[in-house]
Amino acid sequence: MADGLLVRARAGDAGAFAELVRAHQGSVFSIGYRMLNRRDAAEDLAQDVFLQLYRKLETIESAEHLGFWLRRVAANLAIDWLRRVPYAATLPLEDGAEVAAPQREDDLLLTRELDRLLGELSAPARAVMLLRYQEDLDVAEVGAALDMPVNTVKSHIKRSLTQLRSRMIGARLVDCEELP
Amino acid sequence: MSENFENELRRALRPLDAPAGFTERLMAALPEKREIAPVATPVPRPRRVAQRFGVPAAFAAALVVSMLLGQHVAEVHRERTEQQAGLAASRELMEALKVTSQKLDLAYQAAKAPPPPVEEENRT
Amino acid sequence: MKVHIALCAIALACGGPAFGQLKGQLDIPQFATLAKKASESVAVSLDSKLLGLGCSFLSTDDPEQADVKKLCTSLSGIYVRSYTFDQDFAYPQSDVEGIRRQLSAPGWSRIVEAKSNKEGTNVDVFVLLDDDKAMGLGIIASEPREFTIVNIVGNIDLEQLHSLEGKFGVPNLGIEVPKKAPPPAPPPKKSR
Repeated sequence: MADGLLVRARAGDAGAFAELVRAHQGSVFSIGYRMLNRRDAAEDLAQDVFLQLYRKLETIESAEHLGFWLRRVAANLAIDWLRRVPYAATLPLEDGAEVAAPQREDDLLLTRELDRLLGELSAPARAVMLLRYQEDLDVAEVGAALDMPVNTVKSHIKRSLTQLRSRMIGARLVDCEELP
Repeated sequence: MSENFENELRRALRPLDAPAGFTERLMAALPEKREIAPVATPVPRPRRVAQRFGVPAAFAAALVVSMLLGQHVAEVHRERTEQQAGLAASRELMEALKVTSQKLDLAYQAAKAPPPPVEEENRT
Repeated sequence: MKVHIALCAIALACGGPAFGQLKGQLDIPQFATLAKKASESVAVSLDSKLLGLGCSFLSTDDPEQADVKKLCTSLSGIYVRSYTFDQDFAYPQSDVEGIRRQLSAPGWSRIVEAKSNKEGTNVDVFVLLDDDKAMGLGIIASEPREFTIVNIVGNIDLEQLHSLEGKFGVPNLGIEVPKKAPPPAPPPKKSR
């Protein structure tokens, strides 16, 4: 069905394009929000991404390619923005975006703390972690999306997991386990 | 690194909802209707020409339109095929350069590492 | 681990390039057996026609693609074979040596030799020189679980290749094009 929407969107069907946007807006906005830590900047970024998509629909070959393309453009655009504008100070989650699925209280606490700790990673490392754990891309796909060698992706993941985990153990949000 | 932590990370990083009305605002910001290549529709032949050959005018016009449409569809198909081939080639090109850079990176890493310590000769 | 910058010039066993091959182009086998054993493989063969087509589809809006577009306009071919295995050294060394023999032909110079005994990796970078111009680039990377050959053919502007450094993760290797030694001066004429 998604391939059908793509064909119709290319042919100028605005409704089909809007459906494509709705299907992917959560992911694109989430990448923007977790990269930039600002709701308004994340919405601007997401809008930029979809405007680019609208201009380049002919280059999208399939529904699968579309998903990859959106994540690639969103992550790289966020990294570019962060080069120009420093990362915003952490905002309390109450002022931030709502998670799509209902959460338990302890999950909410974990999410807040993780959002804060993700902000301490470098922009490329943060992008790697989001594409890997939020978007569930494999290591090769993350490398392709960020034009990064696979070994570099793996290094970012390993160092970031170690950093996140040790900080969260410190905050007593995860069980203590032996660190590798 | 424990799989448990990675699963917790995945759970905590579930996608967020975009702000309410995002799609509507985006659609309002889109430029005007996307341009699509128009399909050429020929002027039908005059009735007397069709009648000379004993072919009803509507059939003759339909035949001409379908031939021209067929040509247009073939042209679009050819362009689409060429575009797909070009996109595939450009992806392969980027992939080839990525692999090239990874191996140059490997050489760089090897170059950066210090040489192994020289063992002292055992003098007796 | 050591790095040598060395110039090698060894006579070719056979004559010039095979029919249909351009100067600087290696004869890379299909490696069908390796491909079957590998858990992952990359095989790219872009001759000048496909390279031109691929280049034309790169976007000048994207700065990285724009740089690649500039680089590849002077190239005649890019060939990559890369195989990843589940076990150490699952590929025969004879496959590596076959390519090395070609890179020992006159004109090819090894400009980087990087070995890591600890990690078992060996990366050699070769350039084919023609009147101080680089007409071919060859890379052989032999790692415990990965074997890669890269061959780039054409008028390779190493400065432009340098400009890719920092993008795609290309590092600053400080590769310099080795200059040919000037021809020896003629002996002085003896006066009677």
